[in-house]
Amino acid sequence: MTPMTRWIIPGLLVLALAFALAGSAAEQDHEHRHEHPTDDRGVLLAIAQAPQRTREWRNPYEGQPDAVLAGEKLFRQHCAECHGSNARGKGHAVNLHLSAVQNATPGELEWFLRNGNLWRGMPSWSGLPEQRRWQIVAYLKSLRR
Amino acid sequence: MACTLLPHPDFAGSKVKRLRCIFYLGLLCSVCIVLGAPKSVAAQETPYFVTYSHHLEEPGNLEIEMNSTYGTQRRGNDFIAPWVEFEYGAKAWWTTEFYLDGQGTFHDGALFTGFRWENRFRPLMHEHSINPVLYVEYENTNGADKTMIEVVGFDGQADHAVPNSEAQQEHQDELETKLILSSDYKGWNISENFIGEKNLGHDPWEFGYAVGASRPLRLAATSNSCNFCRENFLVGAEIYGGLGTSWNATLSGTSHYLAPMVGWQLPSGASFRISPGFGLNDNSHRFILRWGVSYEIDGFGHKVRSLFR
Repeated sequence: MTPMTRWIIPGLLVLALAFALAGSAAEQDHEHRHEHPTDDRGVLLAIAQAPQRTREWRNPYEGQPDAVLAGEKLFRQHCAECHGSNARGKGHAVNLHLSAVQNATPGELEWFLRNGNLWRGMPSWSGLPEQRRWQIVAYLKSLRR
Repeated sequence: MACTLLPHPDFAGSKVKRLRCIFYLGLLCSVCIVLGAPKSVAAQETPYFVTYSHHLEEPGNLEIEMNSTYGTQRRGNDFIAPWVEFEYGAKAWWTTEFYLDGQGTFHDGALFTGFRWENRFRPLMHEHSINPVLYVEYENTNGADKTMIEVVGFDGQADHAVPNSEAQQEHQDELETKLILSSDYKGWNISENFIGEKNLGHDPWEFGYAVGASRPLRLAATSNSCNFCRENFLVGAEIYGGLGTSWNATLSGTSHYLAPMVGWQLPSGASFRISPGFGLNDNSHRFILRWGVSYEIDGFGHKVRSLFR
Protein backbone atom coordinates (compact mmCIF):
# COMPACT_ATOMS: atom_id res chain seq x y z
CA MET A 1 0.00 0.00 0.00
CA THR A 2 1.44 3.37 -1.02
CA PRO A 3 1.54 6.30 1.43
CA MET A 4 -1.15 8.00 -0.67
CA THR A 5 -3.57 5.06 -0.52
CA ARG A 6 -2.99 4.78 3.23
CA TRP A 7 -4.79 8.08 3.65
CA ILE A 8 -7.62 7.36 1.23
CA ILE A 9 -9.59 5.08 3.54
CA PRO A 10 -9.30 7.25 6.69
CA GLY A 11 -10.18 10.25 4.51
CA LEU A 12 -13.25 8.48 3.19
CA LEU A 13 -14.23 7.58 6.74
CA VAL A 14 -14.03 11.19 7.88
CA LEU A 15 -16.03 12.28 4.85
CA ALA A 16 -18.64 9.62 5.53
CA LEU A 17 -18.96 10.68 9.17
CA ALA A 18 -19.30 14.31 8.13
CA PHE A 19 -21.90 13.26 5.56
CA ALA A 20 -23.83 11.32 8.18
CA LEU A 21 -23.81 14.25 10.59
CA ALA A 22 -24.68 16.72 7.86
CA GLY A 23 -27.44 14.48 6.53
CA SER A 24 -28.95 14.18 9.96
CA ALA A 25 -28.73 17.96 10.39
CA ALA A 26 -30.28 18.62 6.98
CA GLU A 27 -33.16 16.27 7.72
CA GLN A 28 -33.83 17.88 11.07
CA ASP A 29 -33.61 21.40 9.64
CA HIS A 30 -35.92 20.41 6.82
CA GLU A 31 -38.46 19.04 9.24
CA HIS A 32 -38.10 22.10 11.41
CA ARG A 33 -38.83 24.44 8.52
CA HIS A 34 -41.65 22.58 6.85
CA GLU A 35 -43.43 20.81 9.63
CA HIS A 36 -43.90 22.51 12.93
CA PRO A 37 -42.80 20.18 15.74
CA THR A 38 -46.05 20.61 17.58
CA ASP A 39 -48.20 20.08 14.52
CA ASP A 40 -51.14 17.75 15.24
CA ARG A 41 -51.44 16.68 11.62
CA GLY A 42 -48.01 14.99 11.39
CA VAL A 43 -48.70 13.07 14.59
CA LEU A 44 -52.13 12.05 13.41
CA LEU A 45 -50.71 10.78 10.12
CA ALA A 46 -48.04 8.77 11.92
CA ILE A 47 -50.42 7.21 14.43
CA ALA A 48 -53.00 6.56 11.70
CA GLN A 49 -50.63 3.91 10.31
CA ALA A 50 -51.48 1.71 13.28
CA PRO A 51 -53.63 -1.26 12.22
CA GLN A 52 -57.32 -1.18 13.16
CA ARG A 53 -56.95 -4.06 15.64
CA THR A 54 -54.56 -2.05 17.84
CA ARG A 55 -57.41 0.32 18.78
CA GLU A 56 -58.99 -2.46 20.82
CA TRP A 57 -55.87 -3.33 22.77
CA ARG A 58 -56.16 -2.52 26.47
CA ASN A 59 -53.26 -1.36 28.57
CA PRO A 60 -52.67 -4.13 31.14
CA TYR A 61 -51.38 -1.47 33.55
CA GLU A 62 -54.38 0.84 33.23
CA GLY A 63 -55.28 2.46 36.56
CA GLN A 64 -52.06 1.35 38.27
CA PRO A 65 -50.21 4.34 39.79
CA ASP A 66 -46.99 2.32 40.08
CA ALA A 67 -47.03 1.71 36.34
CA VAL A 68 -47.31 5.46 35.71
CA LEU A 69 -44.27 6.04 37.93
CA ALA A 70 -42.35 3.26 36.19
CA GLY A 71 -43.41 4.73 32.84
CA GLU A 72 -42.17 8.14 33.90
CA LYS A 73 -38.82 6.62 34.85
CA LEU A 74 -38.59 4.89 31.47
CA PHE A 75 -39.64 8.08 29.70
CA ARG A 76 -36.79 9.98 31.35
CA GLN A 77 -34.32 7.24 30.39
CA HIS A 78 -35.36 6.79 26.78
CA CYS A 79 -37.58 9.62 25.55
CA ALA A 80 -36.88 12.85 27.42
CA GLU A 81 -33.75 13.67 25.43
CA CYS A 82 -35.86 14.23 22.31
CA HIS A 83 -39.30 15.03 23.67
CA GLY A 84 -38.13 17.12 26.63
CA SER A 85 -38.34 16.27 30.31
CA ASN A 86 -41.82 17.82 30.43
CA ALA A 87 -42.83 15.92 27.26
CA ARG A 88 -43.74 19.18 25.53
CA GLY A 89 -41.53 18.51 22.53
CA LYS A 90 -38.09 19.72 21.61
CA GLY A 91 -36.58 20.42 18.21
CA HIS A 92 -38.30 18.15 15.71
CA ALA A 93 -39.75 15.82 18.38
CA VAL A 94 -43.46 16.27 18.97
CA ASN A 95 -45.25 17.62 21.99
CA LEU A 96 -46.79 14.60 23.69
CA HIS A 97 -49.50 16.71 25.32
CA LEU A 98 -51.06 17.25 21.89
CA SER A 99 -54.62 16.09 21.49
CA ALA A 100 -53.47 13.85 18.62
CA VAL A 101 -51.39 11.90 21.13
CA GLN A 102 -53.77 12.12 24.05
CA ASN A 103 -56.78 11.06 21.94
CA ALA A 104 -54.95 8.07 20.48
CA THR A 105 -55.90 4.76 22.04
CA PRO A 106 -53.36 3.02 24.32
CA GLY A 107 -53.04 0.28 21.69
CA GLU A 108 -52.18 2.76 18.96
CA LEU A 109 -49.52 4.36 21.15
CA GLU A 110 -48.00 1.00 22.07
CA TRP A 111 -47.92 0.05 18.38
CA PHE A 112 -46.29 3.36 17.52
CA LEU A 113 -43.65 2.93 20.23
CA ARG A 114 -42.89 -0.57 18.96
CA ASN A 115 -42.63 0.46 15.31
CA GLY A 116 -41.40 4.03 15.56
CA ASN A 117 -41.40 6.19 12.47
CA LEU A 118 -37.95 5.35 11.14
CA TRP A 119 -38.13 7.47 8.04
CA ARG A 120 -39.02 10.56 10.12
CA GLY A 121 -36.44 9.98 12.83
CA MET A 122 -38.49 8.29 15.56
CA PRO A 123 -36.65 5.08 16.51
CA SER A 124 -38.39 1.77 17.05
CA TRP A 125 -38.55 0.79 20.74
CA SER A 126 -39.16 -2.86 20.04
CA GLY A 127 -36.01 -3.61 22.03
CA LEU A 128 -37.86 -2.66 25.18
CA PRO A 129 -40.04 -5.48 26.54
CA GLU A 130 -43.72 -5.03 25.78
CA GLN A 131 -44.47 -4.49 29.48
CA ARG A 132 -42.20 -1.46 29.57
CA ARG A 133 -43.81 0.04 26.45
CA TRP A 134 -47.20 -0.28 28.15
CA GLN A 135 -45.79 1.45 31.23
CA ILE A 136 -44.64 4.34 29.04
CA VAL A 137 -48.12 4.49 27.51
CA ALA A 138 -49.59 4.64 31.02
CA TYR A 139 -47.35 7.61 31.75
CA LEU A 140 -48.21 9.36 28.46
CA LYS A 141 -51.89 8.98 29.17
CA SER A 142 -51.38 10.44 32.65
CA LEU A 143 -50.12 13.69 31.06
CA ARG A 144 -53.61 14.79 30.10
CA ARG A 145 -54.62 15.22 33.72
CA MET B 1 4.73 5.11 32.65
CA ALA B 2 4.83 5.59 28.90
CA CYS B 3 2.32 3.33 27.17
CA THR B 4 2.10 2.52 23.50
CA LEU B 5 0.33 -0.08 21.45
CA LEU B 6 2.76 0.29 18.59
CA PRO B 7 5.24 -2.51 17.98
CA HIS B 8 8.64 -2.08 19.55
CA PRO B 9 11.82 -3.95 18.62
CA ASP B 10 12.40 -4.96 22.21
CA PHE B 11 9.27 -7.06 22.71
CA ALA B 12 10.85 -9.36 25.25
CA GLY B 13 11.79 -6.57 27.67
CA SER B 14 8.52 -4.68 27.53
CA LYS B 15 5.82 -7.27 26.94
CA VAL B 16 4.55 -7.38 30.51
CA LYS B 17 4.52 -3.58 30.68
CA ARG B 18 2.63 -3.43 27.41
CA LEU B 19 -0.06 -5.81 28.56
CA ARG B 20 -0.36 -3.84 31.78
CA CYS B 21 -0.61 -0.69 29.70
CA ILE B 22 -3.47 -2.13 27.66
CA PHE B 23 -5.27 -3.14 30.82
CA TYR B 24 -4.76 0.21 32.56
CA LEU B 25 -5.61 2.20 29.44
CA GLY B 26 -8.81 0.21 29.08
CA LEU B 27 -9.63 0.67 32.74
CA LEU B 28 -8.88 4.39 32.61
CA CYS B 29 -11.00 4.89 29.50
CA SER B 30 -13.81 2.88 31.08
CA VAL B 31 -13.75 5.00 34.23
CA CYS B 32 -13.63 8.19 32.14
CA ILE B 33 -16.52 6.96 30.04
CA VAL B 34 -18.62 6.03 33.04
CA LEU B 35 -17.82 9.03 35.23
CA GLY B 36 -16.79 11.73 32.84
CA ALA B 37 -19.66 12.11 30.44
CA PRO B 38 -22.19 14.59 31.77
CA LYS B 39 -25.43 13.23 30.40
CA SER B 40 -26.59 10.06 28.82
CA VAL B 41 -29.50 7.91 27.85
CA ALA B 42 -30.10 4.24 28.45
CA ALA B 43 -30.16 2.44 25.15
CA GLN B 44 -31.97 -0.76 24.30
CA GLU B 45 -29.06 -3.12 24.29
CA THR B 46 -28.55 -6.77 23.65
CA PRO B 47 -25.56 -8.30 25.45
CA TYR B 48 -24.11 -10.09 22.41
CA PHE B 49 -20.47 -9.72 21.40
CA VAL B 50 -20.67 -11.41 18.00
CA THR B 51 -24.35 -11.57 17.05
CA TYR B 52 -26.22 -8.50 15.86
CA SER B 53 -29.90 -7.83 16.46
CA HIS B 54 -32.10 -5.47 14.46
CA HIS B 55 -31.99 -2.80 17.16
CA LEU B 56 -30.02 0.15 15.85
CA GLU B 57 -28.52 3.11 17.62
CA GLU B 58 -30.97 5.94 18.30
CA PRO B 59 -30.47 8.74 15.76
CA GLY B 60 -27.93 11.37 16.80
CA ASN B 61 -26.56 9.29 19.70
CA LEU B 62 -22.99 8.10 19.97
CA GLU B 63 -22.13 4.96 21.89
CA ILE B 64 -18.52 4.39 22.90
CA GLU B 65 -17.61 0.82 23.76
CA MET B 66 -14.42 -0.70 25.12
CA ASN B 67 -14.32 -4.46 24.70
CA SER B 68 -11.72 -7.16 25.11
CA THR B 69 -11.25 -10.81 24.30
CA TYR B 70 -8.98 -12.96 26.42
CA GLY B 71 -8.11 -16.22 24.70
CA THR B 72 -6.29 -19.31 25.82
CA GLN B 73 -3.98 -20.69 23.18
CA ARG B 74 -2.91 -24.27 22.54
CA ARG B 75 0.69 -24.53 21.32
CA GLY B 76 1.09 -20.79 21.76
CA ASN B 77 0.67 -17.86 24.10
CA ASP B 78 -2.56 -16.60 25.61
CA PHE B 79 -3.64 -13.15 24.47
CA ILE B 80 -5.85 -10.19 25.22
CA ALA B 81 -7.34 -8.40 22.23
CA PRO B 82 -9.05 -5.10 23.08
CA TRP B 83 -11.10 -3.07 20.64
CA VAL B 84 -12.89 0.25 20.81
CA GLU B 85 -16.17 0.95 19.03
CA PHE B 86 -17.74 4.29 18.16
CA GLU B 87 -21.33 3.62 17.17
CA TYR B 88 -23.38 6.47 15.78
CA GLY B 89 -27.06 6.57 14.86
CA ALA B 90 -26.98 8.45 11.55
CA LYS B 91 -30.70 7.83 10.98
CA ALA B 92 -33.32 5.77 12.74
CA TRP B 93 -32.77 3.17 9.96
CA TRP B 94 -28.98 3.52 9.58
CA THR B 95 -26.22 2.98 12.15
CA THR B 96 -22.58 3.50 11.33
CA GLU B 97 -19.73 2.23 13.48
CA PHE B 98 -15.97 2.64 13.57
CA TYR B 99 -13.64 0.16 15.30
CA LEU B 100 -10.02 0.29 16.38
CA ASP B 101 -8.46 -3.11 17.12
CA GLY B 102 -5.38 -4.09 19.07
CA GLN B 103 -3.93 -7.10 20.82
CA GLY B 104 -1.35 -8.11 23.35
CA THR B 105 0.09 -11.62 23.38
CA PHE B 106 1.83 -12.92 26.49
CA HIS B 107 5.56 -13.52 25.98
CA ASP B 108 5.38 -11.87 22.57
CA GLY B 109 4.20 -8.28 22.24
CA ALA B 110 1.36 -5.86 21.76
CA LEU B 111 0.29 -3.95 18.70
CA PHE B 112 -2.43 -2.03 16.94
CA THR B 113 -3.98 -4.39 14.41
CA GLY B 114 -6.22 -2.19 12.29
CA PHE B 115 -9.62 -0.59 11.91
CA ARG B 116 -13.09 -1.46 10.67
CA TRP B 117 -15.97 0.62 9.46
CA GLU B 118 -19.41 -0.95 9.44
CA ASN B 119 -22.87 0.18 8.41
CA ARG B 120 -26.21 -1.39 9.23
CA PHE B 121 -29.41 -0.59 7.38
CA ARG B 122 -33.00 -1.51 8.12
CA PRO B 123 -34.75 -1.93 4.77
CA LEU B 124 -38.23 -2.34 6.28
CA MET B 125 -39.66 0.59 8.19
CA HIS B 126 -42.03 -1.39 10.41
CA GLU B 127 -41.61 -4.22 12.90
CA HIS B 128 -42.28 -7.73 11.67
CA SER B 129 -42.03 -11.16 13.24
CA ILE B 130 -38.59 -11.44 11.58
CA ASN B 131 -36.78 -8.18 10.95
CA PRO B 132 -33.97 -8.05 8.39
CA VAL B 133 -30.97 -5.75 8.62
CA LEU B 134 -28.30 -5.41 5.92
CA TYR B 135 -24.73 -5.08 7.14
CA VAL B 136 -21.67 -3.95 5.18
CA GLU B 137 -18.22 -3.58 6.71
CA TYR B 138 -14.82 -2.62 5.41
CA GLU B 139 -11.89 -4.06 7.38
CA ASN B 140 -8.30 -2.95 7.19
CA THR B 141 -6.48 -5.20 9.63
CA ASN B 142 -3.40 -7.34 9.75
CA GLY B 143 -2.98 -11.04 10.39
CA ALA B 144 -2.22 -10.48 14.08
CA ASP B 145 -5.81 -9.37 14.79
CA LYS B 146 -7.26 -11.61 17.51
CA THR B 147 -10.43 -9.77 18.47
CA MET B 148 -12.57 -12.58 17.00
CA ILE B 149 -15.47 -10.21 16.44
CA GLU B 150 -16.62 -12.76 13.93
CA VAL B 151 -15.52 -16.27 12.99
CA VAL B 152 -15.66 -17.14 9.29
CA GLY B 153 -14.30 -19.68 6.82
CA PHE B 154 -11.67 -21.90 8.38
CA ASP B 155 -10.64 -19.42 11.09
CA GLY B 156 -9.15 -21.49 13.89
CA GLN B 157 -7.12 -21.24 17.05
CA ALA B 158 -3.96 -22.29 15.19
CA ASP B 159 -4.07 -18.94 13.30
CA HIS B 160 -3.45 -17.16 16.60
CA ALA B 161 -0.36 -19.21 17.48
CA VAL B 162 1.68 -17.40 14.82
CA PRO B 163 4.15 -14.91 16.40
CA ASN B 164 3.09 -11.28 16.10
CA SER B 165 6.18 -10.26 14.14
CA GLU B 166 5.20 -12.74 11.44
CA ALA B 167 1.42 -12.41 11.61
CA GLN B 168 1.42 -8.62 11.29
CA GLN B 169 3.09 -8.90 7.88
CA GLU B 170 -0.16 -10.26 6.46
CA HIS B 171 -2.43 -7.45 5.33
CA GLN B 172 -6.18 -8.03 5.33
CA ASP B 173 -8.23 -5.68 3.20
CA GLU B 174 -11.69 -7.20 3.52
CA LEU B 175 -15.32 -6.60 2.78
CA GLU B 176 -17.74 -8.25 5.16
CA THR B 177 -21.45 -8.56 4.61
CA LYS B 178 -24.12 -9.92 6.91
CA LEU B 179 -27.77 -10.67 6.68
CA ILE B 180 -29.16 -10.06 10.15
CA LEU B 181 -32.53 -11.56 11.01
CA SER B 182 -33.92 -10.69 14.39
CA SER B 183 -37.14 -11.13 16.34
CA ASP B 184 -38.53 -9.97 19.65
CA TYR B 185 -40.97 -12.32 21.33
CA LYS B 186 -42.26 -12.12 24.90
CA GLY B 187 -39.20 -10.26 26.11
CA TRP B 188 -36.74 -12.48 24.26
CA ASN B 189 -34.57 -11.29 21.43
CA ILE B 190 -33.62 -14.03 19.00
CA SER B 191 -31.14 -13.10 16.29
CA GLU B 192 -29.54 -15.01 13.44
CA ASN B 193 -26.65 -13.67 11.37
CA PHE B 194 -25.35 -15.08 8.10
CA ILE B 195 -21.87 -13.78 7.33
CA GLY B 196 -20.00 -13.54 4.04
CA GLU B 197 -16.48 -12.11 4.05
CA LYS B 198 -14.21 -11.44 1.07
CA ASN B 199 -10.56 -10.51 1.06
CA LEU B 200 -10.45 -7.82 -1.62
CA GLY B 201 -7.01 -8.89 -2.81
CA HIS B 202 -7.46 -12.63 -3.15
CA ASP B 203 -9.09 -15.66 -1.58
CA PRO B 204 -12.65 -16.89 -1.95
CA TRP B 205 -15.67 -15.74 0.02
CA GLU B 206 -15.62 -17.03 3.60
CA PHE B 207 -18.85 -17.81 5.38
CA GLY B 208 -19.90 -17.88 8.99
CA TYR B 209 -22.89 -17.72 11.26
CA ALA B 210 -23.91 -16.36 14.65
CA VAL B 211 -27.11 -17.06 16.56
CA GLY B 212 -28.04 -15.43 19.84
CA ALA B 213 -30.90 -15.25 22.31
CA SER B 214 -31.22 -12.92 25.27
CA ARG B 215 -33.78 -11.62 27.73
CA PRO B 216 -33.93 -9.16 30.65
CA LEU B 217 -34.22 -10.86 34.04
CA ARG B 218 -37.38 -8.81 34.67
CA LEU B 219 -39.60 -7.56 31.88
CA ALA B 220 -41.54 -4.76 33.58
CA ALA B 221 -39.73 -1.81 35.10
CA THR B 222 -40.01 -0.91 38.76
CA SER B 223 -41.07 2.59 39.75
CA ASN B 224 -37.84 3.28 41.66
CA SER B 225 -34.53 4.13 40.10
CA CYS B 226 -32.16 1.31 40.99
CA ASN B 227 -28.82 -0.04 39.89
CA PHE B 228 -29.00 -3.63 41.08
CA CYS B 229 -32.61 -4.53 40.37
CA ARG B 230 -33.32 -7.43 38.03
CA GLU B 231 -34.72 -5.25 35.25
CA ASN B 232 -31.19 -3.90 34.61
CA PHE B 233 -29.69 -7.34 33.97
CA LEU B 234 -29.83 -9.27 30.73
CA VAL B 235 -28.86 -12.88 30.26
CA GLY B 236 -28.37 -14.77 27.05
CA ALA B 237 -26.17 -16.99 24.97
CA GLU B 238 -24.75 -17.01 21.51
CA ILE B 239 -23.27 -19.66 19.28
CA TYR B 240 -21.07 -18.81 16.32
CA GLY B 241 -18.58 -20.31 13.94
CA GLY B 242 -17.28 -20.74 10.41
CA LEU B 243 -19.00 -22.41 7.48
CA GLY B 244 -16.08 -22.82 5.08
CA THR B 245 -15.59 -20.92 1.85
CA SER B 246 -17.22 -20.58 -1.56
CA TRP B 247 -14.71 -23.17 -2.79
CA ASN B 248 -15.36 -25.54 0.07
CA ALA B 249 -18.54 -24.92 2.04
CA THR B 250 -18.30 -27.34 4.96
CA LEU B 251 -18.30 -27.64 8.72
CA SER B 252 -15.23 -29.83 8.68
CA GLY B 253 -12.11 -27.95 9.78
CA THR B 254 -14.06 -24.94 11.03
CA SER B 255 -14.24 -23.62 14.58
CA HIS B 256 -17.34 -23.05 16.71
CA TYR B 257 -18.09 -21.45 20.07
CA LEU B 258 -20.85 -21.38 22.63
CA ALA B 259 -20.91 -18.33 24.88
CA PRO B 260 -23.36 -17.52 27.67
CA MET B 261 -23.39 -13.87 28.73
CA VAL B 262 -24.62 -11.40 31.29
CA GLY B 263 -25.24 -7.71 30.68
CA TRP B 264 -25.83 -4.98 33.24
CA GLN B 265 -27.32 -1.68 32.20
CA LEU B 266 -27.13 1.21 34.62
CA PRO B 267 -29.75 3.97 34.49
CA SER B 268 -26.89 6.43 33.98
CA GLY B 269 -26.37 5.07 30.47
CA ALA B 270 -23.34 2.90 31.18
CA SER B 271 -23.53 -0.80 30.53
CA PHE B 272 -21.27 -3.72 31.26
CA ARG B 273 -21.24 -7.22 29.85
CA ILE B 274 -19.19 -10.33 30.27
CA SER B 275 -19.20 -13.58 28.39
CA PRO B 276 -17.16 -16.76 28.86
CA GLY B 277 -16.92 -18.68 25.60
CA PHE B 278 -16.21 -22.35 25.10
CA GLY B 279 -14.70 -23.89 22.00
CA LEU B 280 -16.82 -26.71 20.64
CA ASN B 281 -14.13 -28.58 18.73
CA ASP B 282 -10.37 -28.96 18.40
CA ASN B 283 -10.11 -26.10 15.90
CA SER B 284 -11.48 -23.67 18.48
CA HIS B 285 -9.80 -22.00 21.42
CA ARG B 286 -10.70 -24.03 24.50
CA PHE B 287 -11.78 -20.96 26.43
CA ILE B 288 -12.23 -17.30 25.69
CA LEU B 289 -13.49 -14.57 27.98
CA ARG B 290 -14.97 -11.35 26.66
CA TRP B 291 -15.90 -8.27 28.61
CA GLY B 292 -16.97 -4.79 27.69
CA VAL B 293 -18.14 -1.45 28.98
CA SER B 294 -20.10 1.08 26.98
CA TYR B 295 -21.52 4.52 27.42
CA GLU B 296 -24.06 6.29 25.28
CA ILE B 297 -23.85 10.04 24.71
CA ASP B 298 -27.19 11.43 23.71
CA GLY B 299 -27.58 14.16 21.11
CA PHE B 300 -23.95 13.84 19.99
CA GLY B 301 -24.82 14.76 16.40
CA HIS B 302 -26.69 17.83 17.56
CA LYS B 303 -23.75 18.93 19.71
CA VAL B 304 -21.31 18.53 16.81
CA ARG B 305 -23.60 20.46 14.46
CA SER B 306 -23.94 23.28 16.97
CA LEU B 307 -20.16 23.77 16.76
CA PHE B 308 -20.51 24.76 13.11
CA ARG B 309 -23.38 27.20 13.49
